[in-house]
Formats: sequence, structure tokens, C-alpha cells
Amino acid sequence: MSIHIQQVNKHFGNFVAVDSVNLEIKTGELTALLGPSGSGKTTLLRIIAGLEQADSGIVKFNGEDITTQHVSERGVGFVFQHYALFKHMTVFENVAYGLTVRPRKTRPSKAEIAEKVHSLLKLVQLDWTADRYPSQLSGGQRQRIALARALAVEPKVLLLDEPFGALDAKVRAELRRWLRRLHDEINVTTVFVTHDQEEALEVADKIVVMNKGRIEQQGTPEEVYDTPSNPFVYEFLGNVNLFHARVKHGHSTIGNIHIPSPEHAEREEEQQGLAYVRPHEIEVLTQPTENAIKVNLDLVTIVGPVARLEVLTEIDEQLIHVELSKVQFKQLGISKGDNAWIQPRYSKVFLGEGI
Amino acid sequence: MNTLSPTTDHAITEAPWIKWSLIGLALSFLALFLVLPLAVVLYGAFEAGINVWWQAITDPDALAAIRLTLLVLIIVVPTNAIFGVAIAWAIAKFEFRGKTLLISIIDMPFAISPVVVGLIFVILFGAQGWFGPWLAAHDLKVIFAVPGIIIVIMFGTLPFVARELIPLMQQQGKDEEEASLTLGANGLKTFWYVTLPNIKWGLLYGVILCNARAMGEFGAVAVVSGRIRGETNTMPLHIEVLYNEYMFTAAFAVSSLLTGLALVTIVLKSMVEWKDERKHKTH
Repeated sequence: MSIHIQQVNKHFGNFVAVDSVNLEIKTGELTALLGPSGSGKTTLLRIIAGLEQADSGIVKFNGEDITTQHVSERGVGFVFQHYALFKHMTVFENVAYGLTVRPRKTRPSKAEIAEKVHSLLKLVQLDWTADRYPSQLSGGQRQRIALARALAVEPKVLLLDEPFGALDAKVRAELRRWLRRLHDEINVTTVFVTHDQEEALEVADKIVVMNKGRIEQQGTPEEVYDTPSNPFVYEFLGNVNLFHARVKHGHSTIGNIHIPSPEHAEREEEQQGLAYVRPHEIEVLTQPTENAIKVNLDLVTIVGPVARLEVLTEIDEQLIHVELSKVQFKQLGISKGDNAWIQPRYSKVFLGEGI
Repeated sequence: MNTLSPTTDHAITEAPWIKWSLIGLALSFLALFLVLPLAVVLYGAFEAGINVWWQAITDPDALAAIRLTLLVLIIVVPTNAIFGVAIAWAIAKFEFRGKTLLISIIDMPFAISPVVVGLIFVILFGAQGWFGPWLAAHDLKVIFAVPGIIIVIMFGTLPFVARELIPLMQQQGKDEEEASLTLGANGLKTFWYVTLPNIKWGLLYGVILCNARAMGEFGAVAVVSGRIRGETNTMPLHIEVLYNEYMFTAAFAVSSLLTGLALVTIVLKSMVEWKDERKHKTH
């Protein structure tokens, strides 16, 4: 089932939640709507589900206009951030709900329902919980039950609203890998909302980056990470250092050093811009070298295998974040207070002052 | 926490004599103002023996009062329960203009004196009232008749269910209802299978309170009923009539019946509270 969203708008009072969004989601794709809170990603998801009515615009499933169709008739599976399991029903009753509320004509027999529920519970590896109540399960287990419940109605589209947002880090990491495998197994068109860039990068086939109700960029995780189309996407997808730069002939000049900026190869006139450099794209040297910035090591944080450094430039005490492996850092043999030289390997320059 | 409690106990509790005098004070207050009157009612009712009690409550006028009170309950309680659920649903699950105003208006019946409530309806439906001539022309009687009694009692007990359910439903949010809708259930099925089971204890509690108040409502009813014996006297009004006519034993007998109903209500209420609490503990 493909999803087409055309010129969709949604306001809440004066707040513009979704601003003329156009989006196409292909059949069987796992898409992440990624953005900060208030970016309109959840509203867009709810408009696709039919839980929210767009002020204007069209939503199509497989080319069919379903903009005015009621949520109960759209055949979507929706998974909520806080599970939304029916508290007073057992796990079995929860998963069976979508089938038992069907009108008598289309309702499967009791035996068929039971079989379906048990096969779904097996799929989410929670077959043993059938007779328990949601309150007796952990958060991760509840979310898997919620997913089984959504899948019971054989939805054409699976929509997940920050599905792992309420879980702790370890369970989260496990569950998103599990979701990826599950998606490869059942292959239903899936859209999930997240504010966690790592989650989106890890799980999705396609990432749609949203900000202030608009789509900033869409593409594969690699595309959006490696070639962000604007400063917002660059900053949102990981840590970044900003430098004032001048660009010309595929090179940017930051202070007195030159670094390659291949996307501006054609530029003849020198222009002002902001250079974005990721912390792991900076080399640290212990000897003065041409084309390197002299810095003072201000703070070292070792997080597992990674060393995160905060250094201050000698010229204007600008704070720069650097990331390298712990092993590399140990080999450098420097510690807090020492001088060092840094050299950005690559920078992405967005033209214009004060973006 | 348990390991800490012995020390905290010492740290935060009062000296035994303070504790016991406070408990003693509270208990004697309760005995004086609650238990003693209750005992007096029962004593007064059965003082002349069970036969006199039985005669008093099987008196045709008393029976008429009991019947009228039950009739009022049968109409008022379900109506207010349905209204309460509807308004709590609207307030908790939807966003609309004037919501805060609506919440304050719901409380109005509690704020207005019952006598004033009675007068309001006399002004509206009385012979000289706004709709009086129209009602008279269609041969309808509201004031000094059963419809008037039902209206004022309905007005006075209107907030109980709604007030009980609004915070409950607001706290529960609408995730479960939305989940039900996405799973293909229509609005009615969603209400029946998801919303109602979630609010049933709160609803029952509100209904019990509404019932208790509807039985005992006096002030507003006194204004609109006209106190026609055997016709427009509810139980509280009948008791007053008996009392004014120096028929103390009969008055106490009917009072004991009303008190008995109240006690049953309290027991039911405690049971509902207890069940509700147990449910919260297991979930």
C-alpha cells in the first residue's frame, strides 16, 4: 500500500502544525518521520491514520483518495507511544479486539480468532502472556503486545508514534532492531515517528526530516546524513561545529586554514558562509602543521570506546568538539591543558551570513 | 522505605497523650453529632413498638410518599447518569470553546440555595410564571405537581455523576479510545467496550451519591410541591408534615426508613470505593 500526501495543512489555533506537506511513501517501505518536538511529525502521522482531520489537502492510499474516510474504515494499524493497551482486558483480549468488534458477517469464528492471536503472540515472542493483564508486563513487552494488536487486523499501513519513546535505552535498542527484522518479515508499509536521529538512521529505509511543519529533506539514511541539504538537517543529525568561512574554487577558508568543500567547486567569486564540521571529521595532531588550528585541550570525556574532546582555539577561544576513538586518543599521549593542533578533514559550507 | 520506617515513626509522630486526646476528641465529636442522632431516630421510631412503626409506614399517605420518592429516583438517577457521562465525555475527550465555563456551570446547582432553586422554577413554570399561561392553556401542571418535584431534584443532583467522571476521564486520556477506533470499532462499540469498563466504578460512585441526595432533597421540593398529602409529598416532606402535626412516632418511623436507605447507600458507597481501590492496587 503506497501513501500519497498532497498539500496537507493543519493548524491548531494560531499554531501551524503541518504546512503544505507533500510526501510519497512507497509500498513496503519503512519510513521514519524525524524531527524535534513541535515539528508536526506526529500530527502528520495522525492525519495519515485519520485520527486528525487535515484543514486542507489530500491523503491517498494506493492512489485512492481517503481524506474523508473515518479512521475505523481506513485499515491502519496504529501504535501509540504509551501503548494504549486496554487496561481491563487480558493480553489475549487486547490482541483479539480488532477481530471481535467486527460485525457478525465479517467476524472470524472464535477458533480462528484464537489461532490468529496465538500466532501473533508467537510473532512478538510473548505467547506466554496471553492470560495476563497489561499492568503485569514490562514496557517493552507492552509495546510488543500493542504491535501484535495492531497487526491482528492485517493493516494496509502500520503507523507508529514514537513507539520506543517511553522505554529505557537498552530495551529501546533491542526493540528497534527487532522492529527492523519484523518489518523485513511481514513487509507492510510502515511509517514511524521519532525525534531520535540514531533510531531513524538505524531502522528506516527512508528518512523524512521535518521542522516547523515542513519537510526539510527526505532520502535514505546515508543520503540525509552524508549530504544534508540545509543547516537544520546538518545540526539535527548529530553534533556539529560551526565556523565562519569563505568559499572559492571548491575550498573553504576558516581563519588561515584551507579545507576541501567539493560542492562549491564551480564557485569563482569568494563568498561568505558557515562551515559545518562533524566532531569525528577532525584530526588531532600533537605537532604544529601547516593548515592546522592551534588549540588547547580543555576537557576529555571517555564514553566507552569513544573519546570526546572539548578544545579551545588559541586565537579566539572558540569551543570545538572533537570525537575520536579511545585508542587513537591514548596514542596521542596528550591530556587536559596540553596544546594540540586540529585539522578538519572535510566541511560542508552553507552560503550566507548568520544562517 | 520499610527499613526506614521505625526511625521516621519516632521522628514524626506526636507524644502518645497528644495522639490519644486527638483521637478521643474526634470520636466524641462523631458520637455527639452522628451516632447520637442516629440512635435517637431509631429509638423514636421503635419506642412504641414494632406494630406502631409498621402502621406508620403503611399509612396510605406514607406509602404515597414512599412511592413518589421511588418514582423520582427512577427518573432522576438514570437521567443524570446519562447526562453526567455525556458531559464528562465531551469535556474530557474534546477541545472546544467555553469548556472552562461549562465546567463552572455544572457546579452551579451545588452553589445555589435549594430554596432559590425552587423559586426559580416557580417563576418559570408557576401560574404567574413565564410559561405558566402556556402550560395552563395546554392543561399541563408542573408546579404543585410531580413534574415540578422531578425537575428541581434533577437540577439539584445534576453535578454528581459529571463531577465524579470528569477528572477520571481526563486522567485516562483518549489513547485507548483512539486505539479502539484504529482497530475498526465504531464510536458506540468503543464506548461500550473501552470507555465504560474504564469508568464503571467512578460512574457507580456518582450514581450512589446522586441517589442519596435525590432521596433526601428537601428545600427546593418544599417550594414547588405544594405539599398535597398523598400526592406531592416526598418522604422528607411527609416527615415534616407528621412532625408539625405532633405525630412524633410516625415522623420518626418514616425517618428511620429514610435513614435506613441512607445507611444502605453508605455501605454500597464504601463497597464501591473498596473495590475501586483494590482495582487500582492490582493495576
